[in-house]
Formats: sequence, structure tokens, C-alpha cells
Amino acid sequence: MKIVVAGKGGAGKTTVSGTLARSLAQAGEDVLALDCDANPMLGVSLGVGMERTDLLVGVRQAVDAGEAEHQPTVGGMIESFGADAPDGVRLVVASRIDRIDPGCP
Amino acid sequence: MHLAVVGKGGAGKSVIAGTLARVLARRGRRVLALDSDMLPGLTFSLGADAPLAPPLLDAAERGEDGRWRLKRGIGPVRAVQRYATDAPDGIRLLQAGKVGPDGLAPIQPALQAYFRVVHRLARSRAFADWAIVGDLPGGPRQAAFGWAPYAEGFLLVVEPTSQSLLAARRVARVASQRRGSPVAVVANKIRREADIARIEAFLATRVTAIVPADGAVVEAERSGAALLDHAPGCPAVAAVAALADRVEAGTLRP
Repeated sequence: MKIVVAGKGGAGKTTVSGTLARSLAQAGEDVLALDCDANPMLGVSLGVGMERTDLLVGVRQAVDAGEAEHQPTVGGMIESFGADAPDGVRLVVASRIDRIDPGCP
Repeated sequence: MHLAVVGKGGAGKSVIAGTLARVLARRGRRVLALDSDMLPGLTFSLGADAPLAPPLLDAAERGEDGRWRLKRGIGPVRAVQRYATDAPDGIRLLQAGKVGPDGLAPIQPALQAYFRVVHRLARSRAFADWAIVGDLPGGPRQAAFGWAPYAEGFLLVVEPTSQSLLAARRVARVASQRRGSPVAVVANKIRREADIARIEAFLATRVTAIVPADGAVVEAERSGAALLDHAPGCPAVAAVAALADRVEAGTLRP
């Protein structure tokens, strides 16, 4: 089962996603919580904490940093670059933006 | 003053941007409102009518290399004359375009045209006397990728929630990498003194403007009306008017 949560900013996407992920995990499912927002915040609603959420590495940045050859599989990336969240949820941040980058309209 | 409004989605960027633009226009300033958010927001906050298709679609053509470019002879002045629409109080509103049922693909030429127009506008002196208020989508993406090159300063709208604070710190980090474009914090939806203290401690800066939590804003957003038309005497409008004083005085930074 793969679910995508979408909507306008502030509508409650992250809160619904985080709570849904934890509820499914509590019900015994293996849950991968994938944060695809350029402003990744899913860790907060999962209960990872603000500061730890802000330190999570984006897979895109990790791969760009040259670690791709060590982790060629999706499973490996989840293992290497993901973080543990409460109730056994595995949290992976797809990408994050920290620097200005000219171009790319 | 040429400003871009940034912050997390739902923090109140469009309401602040739209109300600020209207207040400045009512004081006699010529105002250009720039909307690069692909979701509706600023149009409602200004009390304007949204065109079904972005007028800027007509400003783009494909070059020999297959990439979109501006048609010949379209600089910032002509773009605002031809492709901006009228909003209340004499404001001119230039929109990148809104996502529709078919996604962003149908408005891609308008997005490309918008990006090029704002870059030319940033190098032009034609709008030196105008107030420019740009509304950006939530998060750091457009601030990072140069969608507000006209911005001489950023208004960072933040509400006292963990997510808004974290987003604000990230956007501030990105925006502050633009040399000479200071970031002024607008504390929004404030209920108590401790809210301001929390924002100032987390962002390690003083706030420039304090906009109180105001039921009139919620009602205006529910009805789709501009705040200034819905409740001109409400506390949130008074707070934005005080922000406009700072904008006009050039004292945005605390």
C-alpha cells in the first residue's frame, strides 16, 4: 500500500501523514515515511523533534555528495540515509534545499 | 521598496502581501503585485479577479533551440502594461499562472515568461518609484532558485508553531545568502507575549511586525474576500498598516 498526501500549504498534510504513518505502524505494518517536501518537516509530526528533524540528511544531497556507489539500491539508501522514528517508522527525506542555486526556473 | 514575502505554506504570506499592497496603494503609491505561487492566494487577498489562463502565456515563444523565451520587444514595462491585470486601488497584478487540472504543463510558457520578466525587472530602473510586493509559494525553493531577483528585502512571515518556525529558519538561511537583501520577520497569528519571545529566540532576531491572531482573517479567507474589504477596521489590518509605515520609512530591520 503506497499513499501520497497532497494539498495546499498549511492544510495539514504533514500532520495527517505523520499521524497516519504512526497509526499504521502501531497496527503492526512496516511503514516507510517518505518526506518529499523541499521543506522537509515530516519528522516533527512523527515525533522525532524539531532540531533532529532539521539535521536529517536528504537522500538527494547524500547521493550528490558521492556516496551513491556505496548504496546502489533503494533498500540500501533507506538503510543508510533514513532515520528511526517512534513506533518503528522508518523516515527518509528525499531532498532539502539549503543553498541558493542560480538558474533552474 | 521592492519586497518578496516568504514563509511556510499557511503562515499567512498572501494575506500579509495582499493587504500590504492595498494599504500602500491607498496611500497613493503605485504598486505592482507579483504572484509566483502556482496555488491561488494573492488574487483573493487583493480582492482581484483571476484570469482563467495566465495572460503571460502570450508573452512566450519557442526559440530555435526549442526553449521558451520572451517574444521580441517585451521588457518589464511592456510586460506589466500588457500582461498584468487590474486589482483594486489601482494595483497592477502580474501572475506566473495557476496549476490546473492538467498540472503545470499547460502554463509552462507563462512560468518561463514570468521568470524572465522578473529578472529583467530586477535590472530595470523603470519601477524605482513603485512599491513591488511579491508573493512566493511556501518553503525555500523559489527563494533559493532566484524567483524574486527584484527583492531588496524579504518579509518572512512566521506563526508560532514548530513547523512554521523550522520552515522560517530554513527560508531565512537561504534568503540571507542573497547579499544586500535583508530579511524582516513578520510574526503572524500572535495570541500572547510568549509567542513573540519564542519566535525571536528560535530565529535569533527581533521581529519587525506583530500581527495578532484575528478571527476576521479567518472569516475573510473562508469567504474568499480581501481582508481590507471584509474588515477594514480589524486589528490585523491595523498591524499591516503599521508594517506599511516601516516599509515607507525604510526601517524594516529592527
